[in-house]
Amino acid sequence: MEPLKVVVSGPVGAGKSTLIRTLSETEIVDTDARASEAIGKDLTTVAMDYGTLRLDDQLLYLFGTPGQERFDFMWDVLTEGALGLVLLVRGDRPQDFPQARRQLDYLLSQQPVPYVVGVTRQDRPPVWGPDEVALYLGQPPERVVGLNATEPASAVRPLVRLLELML
Amino acid sequence: MAIFGNLNHMSLGDLLPLLSVQDGALEIFNLEQHPRVTLYFTGGLLQCLYVGGRVAEPLQARSIVSRLVAARRGSFEFAPGARMRRCPQPLGWPLDQLLLATVTVQDEIQGLERSLPHPDTIFALTSERAPEDARLSDFWQRAAALLRRGASARELARRLGMPLEHARYYLLKLRQLELLAPVRARGGQERRASAAARLLGSLRRRFFGDRQAWNH
Repeated sequence: MEPLKVVVSGPVGAGKSTLIRTLSETEIVDTDARASEAIGKDLTTVAMDYGTLRLDDQLLYLFGTPGQERFDFMWDVLTEGALGLVLLVRGDRPQDFPQARRQLDYLLSQQPVPYVVGVTRQDRPPVWGPDEVALYLGQPPERVVGLNATEPASAVRPLVRLLELML
Repeated sequence: MAIFGNLNHMSLGDLLPLLSVQDGALEIFNLEQHPRVTLYFTGGLLQCLYVGGRVAEPLQARSIVSRLVAARRGSFEFAPGARMRRCPQPLGWPLDQLLLATVTVQDEIQGLERSLPHPDTIFALTSERAPEDARLSDFWQRAAALLRRGASARELARRLGMPLEHARYYLLKLRQLELLAPVRARGGQERRASAAARLLGSLRRRFFGDRQAWNH
């Protein structure tokens, strides 16, 4: 059976690599490089993260996009033909919401891809909740879920919601 | 859960549409050389504005709102359900009209850089209502035909002979007034629905076993 891919996107530091590392059955392949500008961490993804998940006989590829906008050409490359898109944003960093909205609007206007938004760091208040982020992004509440990307049972919630909304 | 942040990262223009569906008080503090401001909202209207603990009369309130729209330094926090103290002359201003601040386009573009849409995001009109603000209505008159079928800032800039940043700015402003929205690309739904049905049960079993935890 042909593998399917899910793309995990979002601003720098949203938790994309963490989520893929939490869900992947295999060691993740990353393309981290030393950040060339002040983005709040030393290393950042410059091409993609890659992990896998086997569900019965179906292999699922998990691809993480770079967060920095100067690598935005990779967003299209990775999202084309994807089963779905999970856009992550940190709930305790409202300064990242404009970039998340710009990225989501852009990808959805270019690619016919099902999507959900994941609001990370729900375990670390004060934090914007999923309903409030949905209001900001102009999205229906069912499209936005809260999660903690380090906990498997929580990290998988955006994937579950994505599949539910596709039925 | 909370609505809070800094005006450096999220302008008042970006924030107001969120508050049009909520009642409560927006506190803005740590402003540059300006006392704390409290705005009370009910039913999508700005009802009262306090500055430094005193009620502002309408002329003063308008001037403060203009200043806040352009402010890039200051913290904000929304208190849902907070009730107004004494307000002898309720303002009753619709939030969308508050966005029409008296600052120049160029000044505002610089401050809004983080909020401007991607140059290639495609937008389409959601309403045939022309904006009342003269600057926006000029753009709307010229761009409406293209926006009815969907157009990006890059295409509008090229077709209308304007700087790309201006086209991005006008799209942001019309969006804040809920006159247009990003378009979604379509296709491939049936193939994906069948894949989703296969994967969902397997995913739930893998991560939740027999528990119904995915519903929480």
